[in-house]
Amino acid sequence: MTTPTPDTSERPSAQADPAAADRPALVIDGVTKVLGGRTIIDDLDLSIGAGELVCLLGPSGCGKTTTLRMIGGFIRPDHGQIRIAGKDVTPSPPERRPTAMVFQNYALWPHMTVFKNVAFGLKLRKLPKAEIEQRVEQALSLVNLTHHTQSHPAQISGGEQQRVALARALVLEPEVLLLDEPLSNLDAKLRVRVREDIREIQQRVGITTVFVTHDQDEALAISDRIAVMSKGRIEQYADAGTLYSMPQTRFVADFVGAMNTFDGVPGIGSVTVDGKPIPATMVTDTASEPAQLCVRPEDVRISSDGDGPLASVLREMPRGHYKEIVLAIGETEVRAFVAADFTGEQAHVVFSRVLVYRDGVLIDTRPGADSARRR
Amino acid sequence: MRRANALGLAMIALPMLVITVFIGLPIVLAVAFSLGHTGGPNSNLSAIAQHEHKSNGGLGTTAAYHEVLSDHQNIRDLIVTIVVTLISVIAVLVASWAVALYLRLSGSRLAKTFAALSVVPLFIPVVIASYAIRQFYNGDGFFRGLAHHAGWSNPPILSSTTAGITLGEIWVSIPFAVLMISSGLAAVPDALIEAARDAGASLARTVRTILVPMCAIPTVIAVTFTAIGILGSFTVPYLTGPASPNMLGVTMQHYFSAFAEPQQAEVLAVVVFVIASLAAVWYVRANATAARRSGATS
Amino acid sequence: MTTQIVRRALTALFVLLLAVFILGPLLWLALQAFSQRPSQFPAFWPKSWSLVWWHTVFHDPVLAQAIKASFIFAPVVTLVSAAICLPAAYAFSRFLFPGRRLFLVSIFAVNAFPKFGLYVALAGLFYALNLIPSFTGVVIVQLLGTIVFMTWIPSAAFAAVPRSLEEAARDAGAGPLRVFARITLPLAAPGILVALILSFLASFDEAQGTFLVGVPTYVTMPTEMYNLVGSYPPGTAAVFSILLAIPSMVLLLLVRKHVMGGYLAEGFQLR
Repeated sequence: MTTPTPDTSERPSAQADPAAADRPALVIDGVTKVLGGRTIIDDLDLSIGAGELVCLLGPSGCGKTTTLRMIGGFIRPDHGQIRIAGKDVTPSPPERRPTAMVFQNYALWPHMTVFKNVAFGLKLRKLPKAEIEQRVEQALSLVNLTHHTQSHPAQISGGEQQRVALARALVLEPEVLLLDEPLSNLDAKLRVRVREDIREIQQRVGITTVFVTHDQDEALAISDRIAVMSKGRIEQYADAGTLYSMPQTRFVADFVGAMNTFDGVPGIGSVTVDGKPIPATMVTDTASEPAQLCVRPEDVRISSDGDGPLASVLREMPRGHYKEIVLAIGETEVRAFVAADFTGEQAHVVFSRVLVYRDGVLIDTRPGADSARRR
Repeated sequence: MRRANALGLAMIALPMLVITVFIGLPIVLAVAFSLGHTGGPNSNLSAIAQHEHKSNGGLGTTAAYHEVLSDHQNIRDLIVTIVVTLISVIAVLVASWAVALYLRLSGSRLAKTFAALSVVPLFIPVVIASYAIRQFYNGDGFFRGLAHHAGWSNPPILSSTTAGITLGEIWVSIPFAVLMISSGLAAVPDALIEAARDAGASLARTVRTILVPMCAIPTVIAVTFTAIGILGSFTVPYLTGPASPNMLGVTMQHYFSAFAEPQQAEVLAVVVFVIASLAAVWYVRANATAARRSGATS
Repeated sequence: MTTQIVRRALTALFVLLLAVFILGPLLWLALQAFSQRPSQFPAFWPKSWSLVWWHTVFHDPVLAQAIKASFIFAPVVTLVSAAICLPAAYAFSRFLFPGRRLFLVSIFAVNAFPKFGLYVALAGLFYALNLIPSFTGVVIVQLLGTIVFMTWIPSAAFAAVPRSLEEAARDAGAGPLRVFARITLPLAAPGILVALILSFLASFDEAQGTFLVGVPTYVTMPTEMYNLVGSYPPGTAAVFSILLAIPSMVLLLLVRKHVMGGYLAEGFQLR
């Protein structure tokens, strides 16, 4: 179905070829893994398009690293299949897979120089010396690390080690690049810079990438799509915008971004919380049965014209260009992001977007919404 | 800082004193005695000596060395000592790497049991081990009986041969080497092995390019200690070896007890010491390299 | 698939060979202790069983005396060694005084010079000091073989205790001695235990030096063993060997986990 491009070193980037996303580069099909009697991965399906960067996001123990290691071939699934570029690789060991991993602690071999670390895989492929040198140099310049090539890993900084690990993976020109929490050992400032570097390099090379992290900021910032995982299952698989605006489950709603969650009764144009009606511009379901309601702090608005119930301001936390406040609506505490110059002990509150959940699942009955979610 | 220095030096003073007086001084005396300085603290040994070469002052005389080293039987013993040591060290190295690799790469309960089993000799007194090995490989021993029943009509008697000594030395030396190397292998993070597999290396290649170089220091330590232990050994060759030629540890004892020639015994001791020192230098240098490298990391 | 089967078979063969190589001689010795007469080639199983050799050993006053001597010397030597070496081990792990590495390495000299040559020279020295035969002389000779274990292994164990744990205890108000007793020592205990047991075995095992310095007044089990091998029936030596091996085996079971856990290996990597 896919015709091989004559020049393999020129990979089509995701932007250049919009159809690429329709041809899955990596498919995980009904994979289950049981370890020590515990089901770590439960019948997991995931499909990743060519050139996409997908994050596996979730709390520790959700199975994201296990999934990544199964893609890399370090763990063999009990059931199911893993296909890369249409080829079943499930029984293949890591050395026979077109994948390359960047490990959490970089796993640079301490007894080899930077150059030898990157050249290792090429030497295994018995390439001529000149070509090895040229490709290693290319890979190192890709990650902006042309000096230090004769240093040992212990002599360079954490950020540089990270880039060597990336170069070592990229130099093999794998079909799929795997990154296992690659930024967790860097300090906060460096983390932001390196993640942008990784995204930039990934887009330039156009390589299909799976990125494991527990940091939602990281995931939202660099991914094409994010698979939020919990207890060995994927809760939601969507792009960052959808994930943030329409979290399909309560788990995703709580895990991604800040969220106010409280019990209430939805209605048309308003919701009732602790017996007080609060005007709401958009409510995903208007059936007036008790439900769990979720509202982002930026969707809590202070109304200047006296709409909505009066809430008292419990706490104020300046956040620089905005202010975070905690309001009490009856017994319910609600967090809101307001203008930095906000003052006052009381305020009228309205909601702009209210997400309605029943049994932990988003109910969206608005016209045009995903019909599967309608009741 | 200066107080800590003084305190540290005070705390190590006692063992250092013991080593200086009861090891350093005797070694100096032994070397002096072998060079013909028979007076002073050596006069007691000199009193029982049947036949000795006395120095006429200066640095001493090498007459005792000439005597001992011109005896072709001693040269044969020296060769036996070196050959047994080399073969044993190689065998120990191969076996302990195999055990340690099996433990590291398999990690199964069988592998753990197996590794624990290979450490058992560490806890068996060498006299017993040597005696047990001698009985096991002698004319009526289990080894011959079993080999015979397995279809080997007349298996060799290995006790009282240099092969017997080698088997004994290997038996005694395996545990230390296994412990050194398996601890070295345990210190290699899984990710480093996985990264090599990920880059396309086969298991054999991973062992060769990652595990072996990363365990160079523990291997050097295992080799030097094994070599030094075997070079100076007495019990194993005495109980499992032939009357002659045997290893120099036994020859020394003969010179001292049978011929009452302590000077000649000390000459041989110094010769073995010189050979062992070569291994010792290697050990010290390997440790120094390791210390420097770990210093660079932290 | 076939390569996997071949690999499995080779592994199994290797395991089996090494198991026979290591355990065979010991089990064979045990068989001999209970058989009336040693089996003769080509048989490799004893014909009749007997406890006669056990009877011989237990009723021989010389052998009983040797057993007693061994169980007196080994604990004494171990305790003396601990008293002398443990402070030094701590100093090596915590203070960077000048010449530290030189001292640490010099302990190695104990191993490099052949034991017999050392003991002969030592015997000359002991004659001058009137230490032959003497209890003190035997203790000193046996002590020499324990110093390496008792210094290097605990030193590595102390070094492995993170300083931050000690600092946290100081912060909580504990004085240096209390920190040592309540934090450092318990955490280093497994390494010290391994050192104690290896020292005990080294002393228990020492025959040559003990012979030169102790005979005829102080004869321990291994010294007596040389005697037995030449002049007693094999069954007696077998029984005696088993008796000699019992404390070792008990201690082995006690510290197997710690020894396998790398405390010994750590000690031999000088830092």
